[in-house]
Amino acid sequence: MTISPETRDLAQRLLTYEADADKRSTSMESATLRAYEKLRQCLVTFAGVASFQSIAMRALVLAQADVPNLCAVQVTAEGSLQGLGDVEFQTSMDKDLAGSQQAGEDPPDEAEAILIARILGLLLTFLGEALTLSLLRNAWPDATFDDRNSGNGRKA
Amino acid sequence: MTAEDKVKINKLPTGVPGLDEIVGGGLPEFSFNIIAGAPGSGKTTLAHQFVFANATPERPALYFTVLGESAIKMLRYQQQYTFFDSSLLSGSIRFINLSQVVLEKDLGAVLEEITKEVTKSNPAVVVVDSFRTMVRGSQDGMDLQAFIQRLALFLASWQATTFLIGEYAEDELRDNPIFTVADGLFWLRQTNERNSIVRKLQIIKLRGQASVPGLHTFRITEAGVQAFSRTFGLTGHLKDPPSYRRLCFGIPELDKMLGGGIREGDSVLVAGSSGTGKSVLATQFIAEGIRQGEPGIVAVFEERPQAYAERASTLGLDLETPQKDEKLTILYLRPLDLSVDETMHSILDAVQKIGAKRLVIDSLAGFEMALSPGFRADFRESLYRMIFALTGIGVTILSTVEVDESFIEFPFSTYSISFLTDDIIRLRYVSIDGQLRKIMVVIKMRGGNHAKDIREYEITDKGVVILGKRLTNYQGLISGIPVYSERSNAQKDALNDSEIERNS
Repeated sequence: MTISPETRDLAQRLLTYEADADKRSTSMESATLRAYEKLRQCLVTFAGVASFQSIAMRALVLAQADVPNLCAVQVTAEGSLQGLGDVEFQTSMDKDLAGSQQAGEDPPDEAEAILIARILGLLLTFLGEALTLSLLRNAWPDATFDDRNSGNGRKA
Repeated sequence: MTAEDKVKINKLPTGVPGLDEIVGGGLPEFSFNIIAGAPGSGKTTLAHQFVFANATPERPALYFTVLGESAIKMLRYQQQYTFFDSSLLSGSIRFINLSQVVLEKDLGAVLEEITKEVTKSNPAVVVVDSFRTMVRGSQDGMDLQAFIQRLALFLASWQATTFLIGEYAEDELRDNPIFTVADGLFWLRQTNERNSIVRKLQIIKLRGQASVPGLHTFRITEAGVQAFSRTFGLTGHLKDPPSYRRLCFGIPELDKMLGGGIREGDSVLVAGSSGTGKSVLATQFIAEGIRQGEPGIVAVFEERPQAYAERASTLGLDLETPQKDEKLTILYLRPLDLSVDETMHSILDAVQKIGAKRLVIDSLAGFEMALSPGFRADFRESLYRMIFALTGIGVTILSTVEVDESFIEFPFSTYSISFLTDDIIRLRYVSIDGQLRKIMVVIKMRGGNHAKDIREYEITDKGVVILGKRLTNYQGLISGIPVYSERSNAQKDALNDSEIERNS
């Protein structure tokens, strides 16, 4: 099961949004973790812990097939992510190493985007685009999601 | 206290076609209602229709889901309905899951959570789905009756119209505190009748206004729940004053036999055995109406509209053009699990759409077959209600009915429904001079005098054509096996065709 470019782009936009917000805050959490938590809070309110947890676990299994590094990550009974920090640290180390070997080349943040993209993909499959975007609007009230293909992730 | 002093209770649209009529114009605002029924009976769909019809960004709807169906799964299916407007989910409708609170805490905590969300959102509509699961899940803590009463009080004070949805069996209706507290109780049933499924809705209780009593059939289609009132949605309609206008068949000799035609608003029965021309006569009745500027509806059960129109064209009657011009609607009704109320709804829709004056039901046997078995048992009663309702708004109904040809009796109908009809025209075969010929006689006309003549007719490429004068040289024509008896010319002169004076 592949992720469509539109879904991948949507996930990337959420992460970009969170990364930008990170620059304005003192949060120590990564953009991926914060995007995941926003999705979790929104979906737990909407569908309950059990529903969110089962979707998150399915998304993680799909994501692990794409990015083996994610095998160390787990979804807790409450639906939170465990172990993502370690994976991110390792990815960061790998980037640094790659940076020293191939100066100027910036590897894409595939691992970070893939889990969010997988969750979005499942929501799009189960609920369709209109309802998924409606949920995202609740979680990110300041962002715009009118066009999944748009590169602009913020309100004008 | 005068009418002006009384508090006015606003009526909210239910969003369910036909249900506003049943509940007396709409659902009382701020009422505390229960939708009960077995799984699959349409409870959630009905609640969704109400939510989508009433939620606004200023006064949103809160939809609390508890254990049972996941909101994701529920919305996956519910969004297939045409009433589902996903744009309302951004600000007008919020889904909140209470499973965790129910599982881990007691009813007091549930009430606290609902109170918190309602206070925050100021909703116009609150739904708890499924309330039954919540009650089962919380055995400890707050007493159930106290919980219900506090919830009802709180939601009414916050000016919210509430629906609690629950799976209840009918024997749970008695001594249940939930039902005592509720202002409205909607019971949805789904019953098997041989191979058919019939859905029925009952308003067991509705405070503050009169609702239509009894079991109303409903159907779940892509548009959601659609209810069919037992009163056919005509409760508040004024009946037209009686008309003395005559509606012609366009068959001069027959119109003469009828004293000028069928009286407007009558119900006419055309009875005869197979091949006697009942449908031809019915088609001529409709076609003549259209020619005279009276739109018509033909409800067919035994052939498809295209075939019906093609057969009419062989008689020189064009039914295609009036259909395009919205002067004629040919309804094909044959699902085999219909209720009369549902059939009536289709007919009424068509009557209102084109302003129909004439209706042909071809045939009653086909109509009966299209009904679910349970409704067939009440066919006479249902037919009575339908004819009464339609003729009451000035529609003239011509129904065809097939009767078994007998040579020892002369039945008018196999349904013992002749009392339901104002006028009866009987067609039959007779054996004359080695030929099987056809005769016609007007048996009854409630609204006036009619010819007593028995007339021979033929079906030609121009439709039913009445031949010559009445058959005076035969005795026992209605037996089907008449006896020839020569009469003198003097006798024949005395037996000229009856002259009918119009009774107006």
